[in-house]
Amino acid sequence: MSTPAIATFDLGKDYGGTRALQGLDLRVEVGEVVGCLGPNGAGKTTMIRLLLGLLIPTRGRAEIFALDSRRQTVAAHRRLAYVPGEANLWPTLSGAETLRLLGRVHGTFETNYQSELIERFDFDPTKKVRSLSKGNRQKLILIAALMTRADLLILDEPTSGLDPLMEQAFRLCIHEAKDRGQSVLLSSHILSEVEALCDRIAILRTGALIEIGTMAQLRHLSALTVEATFEASVPDVVQVPGVSMVEVQGRTLRCQVRGSVEPLLGVLAHSGVLELLSREPSLEELFLSHYGAPSLESTHGAGDQ
Amino acid sequence: MLGTNSPVADAPNVTSGSSKTTIARISARKSVRAGVGWGLVFGIYVATQALTYATSYKTAASRELLVKEFAHNAGISALVGPAIRIDTVPGFTSWKCLTVLAIMGAVWGILTSTRLTRGEEDAGRWELLLAGQVTRRSAAEQALTGMGAGALALFVTTAVVVAAVGRSSKVQIGTGSALFFSLAVASGALMFLAVGSLCAQLSTSRRQAIGLASFVLGASYAIRMVADSGSTISWLQWATPLGWIEELRPLTSPQPWALAPIAAFVLVVGVATIVLAGRRDIGAGTLPDHSTITSVRRLPSTTQGLSVYLSRGTLLAWGGSIVAYGLLLGSIAKSGGKIITASPTLRADFARLGISGAEAYLSVAYLIMALTLSFVAVGQVNAARKEESNGQLENLLVRPFTRVRWLSQRIALATLVLALGGVLAGVSTWVGAVSDHADVRLLSMFDAGLNVAVPALLIFGAGVLALGVLPRTVSTVTYGLLVWFLLVEILGSVVKANHWILDLSGYHQMAAAPAVSVNWTANALMVLIALGAAGCGLFAFNRRDLQYE
Repeated sequence: MSTPAIATFDLGKDYGGTRALQGLDLRVEVGEVVGCLGPNGAGKTTMIRLLLGLLIPTRGRAEIFALDSRRQTVAAHRRLAYVPGEANLWPTLSGAETLRLLGRVHGTFETNYQSELIERFDFDPTKKVRSLSKGNRQKLILIAALMTRADLLILDEPTSGLDPLMEQAFRLCIHEAKDRGQSVLLSSHILSEVEALCDRIAILRTGALIEIGTMAQLRHLSALTVEATFEASVPDVVQVPGVSMVEVQGRTLRCQVRGSVEPLLGVLAHSGVLELLSREPSLEELFLSHYGAPSLESTHGAGDQ
Repeated sequence: MLGTNSPVADAPNVTSGSSKTTIARISARKSVRAGVGWGLVFGIYVATQALTYATSYKTAASRELLVKEFAHNAGISALVGPAIRIDTVPGFTSWKCLTVLAIMGAVWGILTSTRLTRGEEDAGRWELLLAGQVTRRSAAEQALTGMGAGALALFVTTAVVVAAVGRSSKVQIGTGSALFFSLAVASGALMFLAVGSLCAQLSTSRRQAIGLASFVLGASYAIRMVADSGSTISWLQWATPLGWIEELRPLTSPQPWALAPIAAFVLVVGVATIVLAGRRDIGAGTLPDHSTITSVRRLPSTTQGLSVYLSRGTLLAWGGSIVAYGLLLGSIAKSGGKIITASPTLRADFARLGISGAEAYLSVAYLIMALTLSFVAVGQVNAARKEESNGQLENLLVRPFTRVRWLSQRIALATLVLALGGVLAGVSTWVGAVSDHADVRLLSMFDAGLNVAVPALLIFGAGVLALGVLPRTVSTVTYGLLVWFLLVEILGSVVKANHWILDLSGYHQMAAAPAVSVNWTANALMVLIALGAAGCGLFAFNRRDLQYE
């Protein structure tokens, strides 16, 4: 197997007694776009700061293109570009000066692509950072990262503060980056963004990686929603294997099915079904079922019994 | 607004109305703490000046010599005000302390007021309160009230120390006089707290506000200088806040009615601040702001260039102060030397070392230069910490740029700045001295300048060590060391202190150059300790997490 863009081995971080990240084993292949989801405090930013060598791991290690993120920081950083969720830039420098400085520190960047990005993001580089809005500062830090055409883009909520038009421009840039063979690790709370851009999705909760896979794989692991309307009475499906979260409203039944649907279909076939709908869960539903809004889990549990 | 029928108002545990005083309480807490600290420094300074005079000039003859040298010296008068009744302890104390402390108070006032108004606004903390029940006008009123408490704390603390030392049989300053004198000293702080607050309303950033207020202070000092340099234009005194303070004439011939222009000034500037605060947008200033730069300036294209560029304003201001102070010290060195000669005890002390005159005076006066360079060192290391805590450093470290390189660059820059500051101090003092035909050698001043940079480097080294090991303590460690060095040096000369305590002060280790030749061995050791501490700090910094605010 070729060298991955990102590989972590039992990567962990404690803050005092708090375990911010535990035993993370994550691989991002070259040319792959991996999304990272998780509620606030799940450890996404800690993971990214460990990858960047800004934090020192308590356990394990991380590699960027097989370069140790702690010992070979400079070599690793030459091949990556990072966008933080909040741009803390130098207020007295103008946008153009900031880009020039950050470009110089990175070493190489494409001036033509920089101009193209400035135009695409409708950014005014003559203004001092101090007078830029949050969204415009975010554009500046995005341009600074994208203009390097680095092999790996690490993006921590990169579109916070951007308007929908700029969000579109950002998506276009990521598609282009993927087409060029660049790898991307995207941490975001915007589920549609992750769904649209990512090849694989990793879900973190309380510092642990609880799921990783393509949308199809994640859906397969999750429940299917089934809605059926009957001619007469609604059959009792609570005892059917795999069925949960049963809701009955008049002659309509709603439930979720995990695993094979055959046992449920067997029951429904003899009950005079008028209408049958089934659909895969959206990313939002996946997300909620994994992070566990606690109320949802308890309903889930009740349905199982 | 919370009505009486509002469910929120009826709910238990609601501290209704507290948000209306939040800013006042925060401003009061921060400024009172600083006010007490500076009050102590002011009080101790006054006490040491009074006690040193009382013990060094015991005889009427020695005091006569002082009067002869200074009472009609226009240069000295322009610098610190006319020397009135300096043959008495209160007269001398007032002459030596009033202008100096009023200016220090004014600087404190500018820094505090801009920090507690514009600084809080720049940091985005006011926005939360202003989105609630607090209006911009009320925010300004509250901040002014809180800072008023700070000025009061400064006055009370200074007064307590001065009154206490005044009871000494050697000093004999009555409690009433001590209070009036402390009021005169504190009025500098009060007036410039108001000026700083007004400038904060006019400017778009704290930095700009400090620049503007400093200009007002500089102009005020310049006018006072002109007014004090000749009797025909002494009416100019009434055109400047620092002149009003001088016209109070505490400890010599008090003129309480000179408080009237001071009170009126504070009132007018305070009201203007409140009115402007209500009229402008949050985050904006009243003056136009140049927020657009059409051409890319050449300076900040490398990280080293960036460090220089970002601190250029501060460094230029410090450099300017060092040169100005060096020139002034040099130009009064000859007269200063004569004061020392006038004091039998001081003369004996220096005679034992085989020196006299201007160089002896400069060796004493250079403590201020050591202090100035120490402040530069403290500023440098705190700026480095701030760059880390506010997330700006992260922009560099996520690129092919190591922490070691960043901190090494900062250490190199600070070392260079301090050495350059020392050379500037020495050379400018020499130029000043030569202009007054004083017997001061360039080489010995060059050495003396570098000599005072050494303890500053020591403070910087300790600061870098703190940055590496316990980054949140950088400010406490550096300011703490500076105050420790200063206190040991000031009190050590009055009180007989244990030699271990004296030895632990960087200023005490420094040789009294240019009076005696610089102890390069001791200095080399201090530089080694400083760089060793900085090296350990660098090592630790490379092995810890980046720590944000």
